[in-house]
Amino acid sequence: MRERADPRLVLADRVEELYGQMWLGILATFAIGAIATFEFWDPRMRDLVLFWWGLVLLVSSASAGLLYAYRRSADRTRQPEQWLRWLGIAALALGATWGFAGAVFFPSHTDEQQVFLAFLLAGMMSGGIPVYAASWPIFALYAGGIVVPFTYVLATFGNRLFIEIALLVPMFYAINVAVAYRLTQVFHAGYRLRHAYGKLTEDYSVLNQRLERQLGELEDARRQVEASGRKLSLFAERAPIAVLEITPEGLVSQVNPGAELLFGFAADELTGLHVKDRLVLPEFRGEFERQWQQLIASREPVVGLKIRTPRRDGLQVVCEWTVTPLVNSEGSLIAVIAQGQDVTRELEAERMKKEFTSTLSHELRTPLTSIIGSLQLINSGVLGDMPQDVAELTAVAERNGTRLLDLINDILDIEKIESGKVSLVQEVLRLGDLVREAMVLNKAFAERFKVRFEFVGQAPHGSPERTVHADRKRLLQVMTNLLSNAAKFSPEGGVVEITLYEHGTDLRVGVHDRGPGIPDSFRSRIFARFAQADSTTARQKGGTGLGLAISKRLVEMMHGRIGFEPREGGGTTFWFDLPRHHS
Amino acid sequence: MPDRPLSKGCYVEDDQDIQRIVRLSLEKVGKMTVEVVSDPNSAVEAMKRFVPDLVLLDWMMPGMDGPTLFRKMRQIPELSALPVVFITAKASQSEMEELAALGAAGAISKPFSPKDLPDQLREIWAKLP
Repeated sequence: MRERADPRLVLADRVEELYGQMWLGILATFAIGAIATFEFWDPRMRDLVLFWWGLVLLVSSASAGLLYAYRRSADRTRQPEQWLRWLGIAALALGATWGFAGAVFFPSHTDEQQVFLAFLLAGMMSGGIPVYAASWPIFALYAGGIVVPFTYVLATFGNRLFIEIALLVPMFYAINVAVAYRLTQVFHAGYRLRHAYGKLTEDYSVLNQRLERQLGELEDARRQVEASGRKLSLFAERAPIAVLEITPEGLVSQVNPGAELLFGFAADELTGLHVKDRLVLPEFRGEFERQWQQLIASREPVVGLKIRTPRRDGLQVVCEWTVTPLVNSEGSLIAVIAQGQDVTRELEAERMKKEFTSTLSHELRTPLTSIIGSLQLINSGVLGDMPQDVAELTAVAERNGTRLLDLINDILDIEKIESGKVSLVQEVLRLGDLVREAMVLNKAFAERFKVRFEFVGQAPHGSPERTVHADRKRLLQVMTNLLSNAAKFSPEGGVVEITLYEHGTDLRVGVHDRGPGIPDSFRSRIFARFAQADSTTARQKGGTGLGLAISKRLVEMMHGRIGFEPREGGGTTFWFDLPRHHS
Repeated sequence: MPDRPLSKGCYVEDDQDIQRIVRLSLEKVGKMTVEVVSDPNSAVEAMKRFVPDLVLLDWMMPGMDGPTLFRKMRQIPELSALPVVFITAKASQSEMEELAALGAAGAISKPFSPKDLPDQLREIWAKLP
């Protein structure tokens, strides 16, 4: 424990102790010096005594000055070695002052005075022990200053008794230094303990504060957890979806009111039972068990799991489940949370939509075939001439019948694309050839609007390496959409320009018209279903509003992009990019 | 290409309205002789009697569908060589392949244009061996 004390602080304490006693030494030197001066006064040695008295005054006041400086100093604890050195000098000077007295006054005075001096010096030396106990080397310096000159005088006096005393004095000196050394050890140990204890107390209080802070944080965290727990259970309780807590073994441990409502079972009819016993149809239990084991093993959440569940009343509901295994920080599975949403109605709607689509496909197309076929035969004139009015009306009927058929075909088409039922027959095609073919196929349509198609730039057959990997029929459908749109919206006698060029790593086909352009308000939904800028145009020129929506999906299925931009000088450019095929 | 022009067609179809349109189309536009059969079960007898150049079969019919009738015809020596064209509303890739595998001469998808039907049939006729 003592090793925890800072040695510098211990030294500073010792220096403090030494300076704390210093005034005693100064005062003793001054007072005893005054008595000695009075005692040794002798007109014969007047100058020497006065000199010594001056020395006492000088050393005392210099020491007092040092003490004063130490008291005022701010770096006492930071510079203890420096202050100790100064103190050593002061102690040596004080000791030497008395040593000087011993050396000069002893030989010249009477026997009684010699006894007085020896007594004085012995007292001064032993009195130094408590004063300098905190540092034995300083005591050794101080006492050395007294003893060395005095011993020398005794040894050289020429008196046998004095020689014997001179031999004894260093022994006393040594004993005194040894005592001082012991005392220093005691002081040192005491200070070290004090500091170590102080540090310990400090550490302890820091630790205490930290503990208190952590306790506070823990309490806050507990409150937060409690609050979020309440919030969570409130969510589960009020949620319209079914929420089940299931043990890793598959036993239901908790259900929310949503689940009770959805399945018609009370909570206690579900809890404690295996989840498959109540909520999974017998024929699917094997499959359920397999998937459950997989979930427990993988511990990965499962989303969008559809399970048909028999209700208490015998009806069946289909739920879409999100199943989340709860794993604690030690990595063990504690529970599985299953959230189920009733999707019975959505599935029913989906089924009806499919049914409706297939009905559209057959039941609507069959009568339309008869209607359009009849009208075509009538309008072709093979059955004989008709009055003008009748011919006009049958033409209207045929046109609108065809439009209705187009609409049905487009709806079926987009339905098929969106439900992922269209699989492309992709092959390597020369894009130029395909563009040319599309232009030929749509020539007759354009002529109805007195519009001409014209390929601009490099001849489409020019670059055999301009190939793409695409579905020929579907790409022709896209081209037909773009070309017929351009023809429809071009002014009479106009030219629709078609370009084909490289665009980055893609090939870009552009169809440029001089039509009225796309209104700002329509731009964002031009590729949406049933998108038509102006419904009167649709009536006049035909079109279902699905062409661009279908084209966009088809181009994207072929990993391309489709877009449009206003054309300089009026009109619009529609384009599509397809990744270039590299053989 | 057969050495004579296409002039006699037999059409098996249950829908009376389509029957009438096809008959008018082939007779008035195509200037052919047409025998229409409503009941696929009596179609074989009708064909034996009428001896058409080409047979048009509807794909979906109650009682017996087009492909079944076609397979039945293949079993009958007098009819096994008759070129057969299907008229179908469903024309997915797999169905077209099925028709080709059966040995059909061609297929025309519903809805068809009665104005163009005779030309379409003559085109198929011209491609026959």
